[in-house]
Amino acid sequence: MTIEFGYGTNGFANHRLDDALAVIADLGYRCVALTLDHHHLDPYAPDLARRVDAVARRLAELGLGVVVETGARYLLDPHRKHHPTLVSDGQARRVDFLGRAIAVARDLDAACVSFWAGVRPADVPPDEAWSRLRSGVAEVVDLAARAGVRLGLEPEPGHVVARLDQALALRVELGEPDALGITLDVGHCVAVEPEDAAACVRRAGDLLVNVQLDDMLPGVHEHLEFGEGALDLRGTLAALEDVGYRGPAAVELPRHSHAAPEVARRALAALRAAATPDWLTGAERRVRADPAAIRALFPAVGRAVGRGPVRADDPGGLVHGTVDDTARARLVAALPDASELPDLYRYGDDAERRGVLRALTPDTDPGIGLPLVRDALRANDTRLVAAALGPFAAAHLDPHTWRHGVLKCLFTGVPLAAVHDLDRRADDELRRMTADYAAEREAAGRPVPDDALRLLGRTP
Amino acid sequence: MRIFDPHVHMTSRTTEDYESMAAVGITALVEPAFWLGQPRTSVGSFTDYFDSLIGWERFRAAQFGVRHHCALALNPKEANDPRCAGVLDVLPRYLAKDGVVAVGEVGYDSMTREEDEAFARQLELAVEHDLPVLVHTPHRDKTAGTRRTLDVVRESGLPPERVVVDHLNEVTVGLVADSGCWMGFSIYPDTKMDEERMVAILREHGTDRVLVNSAADWGRSDPLKTYHTGRAMLAGGFDQSDVDEVLWHNPVAFYGQSGRLVLDEPETPATFAGNSILRGGS
Repeated sequence: MTIEFGYGTNGFANHRLDDALAVIADLGYRCVALTLDHHHLDPYAPDLARRVDAVARRLAELGLGVVVETGARYLLDPHRKHHPTLVSDGQARRVDFLGRAIAVARDLDAACVSFWAGVRPADVPPDEAWSRLRSGVAEVVDLAARAGVRLGLEPEPGHVVARLDQALALRVELGEPDALGITLDVGHCVAVEPEDAAACVRRAGDLLVNVQLDDMLPGVHEHLEFGEGALDLRGTLAALEDVGYRGPAAVELPRHSHAAPEVARRALAALRAAATPDWLTGAERRVRADPAAIRALFPAVGRAVGRGPVRADDPGGLVHGTVDDTARARLVAALPDASELPDLYRYGDDAERRGVLRALTPDTDPGIGLPLVRDALRANDTRLVAAALGPFAAAHLDPHTWRHGVLKCLFTGVPLAAVHDLDRRADDELRRMTADYAAEREAAGRPVPDDALRLLGRTP
Repeated sequence: MRIFDPHVHMTSRTTEDYESMAAVGITALVEPAFWLGQPRTSVGSFTDYFDSLIGWERFRAAQFGVRHHCALALNPKEANDPRCAGVLDVLPRYLAKDGVVAVGEVGYDSMTREEDEAFARQLELAVEHDLPVLVHTPHRDKTAGTRRTLDVVRESGLPPERVVVDHLNEVTVGLVADSGCWMGFSIYPDTKMDEERMVAILREHGTDRVLVNSAADWGRSDPLKTYHTGRAMLAGGFDQSDVDEVLWHNPVAFYGQSGRLVLDEPETPATFAGNSILRGGS
């Protein structure tokens, strides 16, 4: 893992800056997200240049990289939190402040200056807020470009730029300036983005210049320690690795200053654990880099992740599959297209064939998927038959073959719960076939399977 | 006696053989891929065979409480047939399968250029897949063939402890003992080696790095030869722990290098892919 983990000084609000830097470095962090504030390198201090030199020396001594954050609450206005912003009255003060932050970042050799848009004041119409933002950001971008400093615009819940797509749109409107990159808070992704943090990371891609790490619950903007929210930390770090991100990634827990050293220790332990890729994550990465790698990885899945059922109430895995089925579907999802599937199936053992079948989706090319499903439905292996009748078959299999697949399930004891979309696809002909089957069983004095009775609308 | 037969072609044997083997304590084995007694004429014929070695045959063995593993390769005899050369393209897929614990049998039959190429390529595959190798030595011109085999193994960069050189006899054992490779001996009813000669070799060379197998196949052969060798060792003054070392610990140590040996009680599903070994069943 080559991502540089850091910690935000806004999570050490009760420490002197020098002390905070020392604690952060001692814990093993490699960089720091420095929020300029009245007590942490105040950009309005008369002896700023001397102070910046001192911090630069301190960072060098401790071997810490740095990114400059500009989210201080009462630095510009002691009465109103975060005021003024790029979209409020008094925008010039905010631009001036960001200009000072850019100068500090240049002198500290910081990776970037991170900033956000601001909340739209109630009396400012949305169009007006957006146009203020555009002109304000353009000014700041100009300052940054001249100083040779990169900016990271951070989508912030509740702000005019609240989501990644808005940040990307603004950047396009400004003519995609090189100096303007993206800061992504992965907890915010959980709270407000339509897709998960890993997907946001992939979408931001090369534009990412700064990452903030924290956990969050969907819909709730509250910075939480890792494991307390819904963030897939492992998957998010893997996505950062996949897009080749090499910048700072600092923990952002501004409400945890009261226990900062202990919280920071826990956070780094969680990050290190999650950054060690498990077998499957490593395998997915290898398949993304070289699709042919799946040929040797696919057979090895059971040895690496086990072979048990996904759900205890489905011991044979006929309905919900097995853990190796699920893992194999992830490897297939990492492929660029379905062209490897016929050979994975042809040369696969029974578990691999099941894995291919369960990896088929309604979007899979029917020209590739249908021959595999038809082959599986000719087999005697009930697990293969069950795996064949998933969402792909529901979407693409012709009615005759699909009906015979369902009937085969009834004959061989595969629960019809394994048949995807049974209610939608069941037609009169299937009910006729099932009624004949039931009549045959009854004539022979044998019990009719409950699933057959249910399909016929009879109570088992 | 608990016995691991490190080289036996069960595809050619009957269920009665499995019963007799289990009865004398042969509860684990490795089946290397070899030729059928008549030539295969296509790659598909090989892949069907490989499929059976990782699937149906494992299932069949499990019905008798026998743990079945296999070694896969393009054998030297068929490496000379251009129709089968494509096997080397699909082999990497198969070497990654469950139950595959080695690359084999590879080596020389007539020592042709084609055999050279297939042998060297498959040693590379063993390195890539982190598997040990079972090397067959030729029936004709055995001493020269064994020497050349050891040269190729040395050049491959494979550590000698990951290679067993098989079908040895009194003449070739010394060469292999000096190389650091494992020494394999196939005990046949009246060719290659017999039990008494095997005991004499064990007396001279010791039990270290020695594997004893039946190499039983479709020809005149006996899948109980490992057991008979164990008996001959006991009669010849070896003790129970020597027998256990040669017939169990040594093959476990050698194939265990694959990381894929599974020696707990085999599960015995009633069917494989919906098919059973009961005649008249499905």
